[in-house]
Amino acid sequence: MSSGLARLAVAIPPVAVVVAAIAIWWLAVRTFDIPQYLLPAPGAVLEAVWSDRERLAWAMLGTAIGASSGFLLAAVLGVAIGSVLGLSRFLERGFYPLTLLLQMVPLVALAPILVVWLGYGQRAVIAAAAIVALFPVIANTLGGMRSVDRDLEELFTLCRAGTLSRWWRLRLPAAVPSIVTGLRIAAGLAVIGAIVGEFVSAYAGDRAPLGMVIVSAMKEYRTDLMFGAIGLAAIVGFALFGIVNLGGWLLLRRWHTSAGDAG
Amino acid sequence: MPRPSMCRSLLAAIAVSALALAGCGSDPGGSTSRDGDRSVAVQLNWVPEPEFGGFWQAQLDGDFADAKLKVELISGGPSVPAAQLVASGKVPFGVVSGGELLSLNEQGGNLVAIFTVFQGDPTAIMVHAQSPWQTLEQLWRSDATIACESYLPYVTYLNRMYGGQNLKMVPHTTSLANFVNDSSLAQQCFVFAEPVTLELEGIETRVFPVLESGFNPYTGVVVTNRAYLDANPAICRDMVEALRRGWAGYLEDPTRANEAMTKLNPAMSLEAMNLAAKKQRFLVEDEVTRANAIGWMTAERWKTLAEQMTELGKLKSVPTAIEGGVFWQPPVSAGPITPNEPTAPPGAAANESSG
Repeated sequence: MSSGLARLAVAIPPVAVVVAAIAIWWLAVRTFDIPQYLLPAPGAVLEAVWSDRERLAWAMLGTAIGASSGFLLAAVLGVAIGSVLGLSRFLERGFYPLTLLLQMVPLVALAPILVVWLGYGQRAVIAAAAIVALFPVIANTLGGMRSVDRDLEELFTLCRAGTLSRWWRLRLPAAVPSIVTGLRIAAGLAVIGAIVGEFVSAYAGDRAPLGMVIVSAMKEYRTDLMFGAIGLAAIVGFALFGIVNLGGWLLLRRWHTSAGDAG
Repeated sequence: MPRPSMCRSLLAAIAVSALALAGCGSDPGGSTSRDGDRSVAVQLNWVPEPEFGGFWQAQLDGDFADAKLKVELISGGPSVPAAQLVASGKVPFGVVSGGELLSLNEQGGNLVAIFTVFQGDPTAIMVHAQSPWQTLEQLWRSDATIACESYLPYVTYLNRMYGGQNLKMVPHTTSLANFVNDSSLAQQCFVFAEPVTLELEGIETRVFPVLESGFNPYTGVVVTNRAYLDANPAICRDMVEALRRGWAGYLEDPTRANEAMTKLNPAMSLEAMNLAAKKQRFLVEDEVTRANAIGWMTAERWKTLAEQMTELGKLKSVPTAIEGGVFWQPPVSAGPITPNEPTAPPGAAANESSG
């Protein structure tokens, strides 16, 4: 089988599931005559997306900028915090439970106070996205740093490697596969965080982001548009996930077995 | 044997989904009660506050009990979909805005208004007393930041009237923290709610009621769905009668109901509730209610709202049946009718609206 056909074969199962799900959805709406305010038909959703395409394109762009900025912030902070905590057990025991708070805190409750602290607009959106995306990056960075081969650690000790050198030459490279896993989880979460942030802080108007489109469509009982906007938010999440996957594959393809199926 | 097992699983999943969805789209369970079961619930669209004072007064004065109704008042909140809950038959009665009713019905809903708390829409925009804006028009022509529900029809209406191109609209949350923090911020409010809370905290505001601009939808509208109304006309009629009495009692003396509500909603003090009740009175009563009954609605007002919303692009068309279709109300009677005397709602058949 050629590589093109092999790739096609890989794509068949997810496509088949999506097509089947849409068919069941369409059939259910038709069979039970479900009113649009409860569940729109797939065709109505596509129609709503098409007729509002310009507004939705801007909305997608706005959300993509907020989510990816929050994701980048979480990635940088997460790797830095995870690395620092990986330096000593004392720091880890002291601060790791605090980082768990990021996972536990209900973002919906926190988001309004972010607006009070940071003002309306993208800053609160980026902060909301970063808060939810941060923990998986910290946890996976720390996990990766802690799983370095003991023999290699001893080799670095024999060579009297300094802390920075040990981090840069040994622990960080060893943690990369784990960090990439954390970033994959963070990519999806960042979009959720950005949407929640937009619910409370985004500017309305023709170029309002997806969070605002979802709220206004919901309040106007435009479930067709709401489902469309939710679908587009998922596409932003998939795109971010895909970029992380690609980056991970480029980084790992030469030396790590996990890169085999990532690209 | 994977295939039969997969098929069975798939069929089971389809059956479960179908049952769930059938439940979503079905008529309300109450629609088949034929007035037999007189236990009903009212889904409020906000927490207990003076805008629902007459509901609690009817409970406390026994107006519901006199009508042989056992009523549960369900507290609402910012995310409670009161209109969908009533339209889908999960609760027989709910409180929504006039605009919500028209929008939902255009999307396949079947809501019927039976009572309105407010003749005048309490929606307003408040600014800090020291802000430079003296009128709603001045504010709307400025480059101010306004925390509001930008998707509501009144915003589009004001944009049509005053432009509003330079305004920056941000989401309206239930919090007053941003408004208190930022003296340049304008915020959507109810004339008798947020400004009263702020006044008691020593923060002076200037309030611009939206209704003065000419956009004045019915608000605090009690709705049921068409199937429930057709099946339970006596319950609907008695509910309206009890609400008329409850609201009359609340306007006379709101203290007891406010005491009951402040226990359920400690965030609003009794003092604030009493002050709010006083300030909302002129929106509940007007010449129409004095000539008919509290909560009375007119076809003309509903038609005006539908026409305005159509013009603003919020509706595709004006419903063809207003009286008996969009709203139904029993005539003013001497007292509640008994459960044995069901009365067909006038115009019950005229339940179709265009669009």
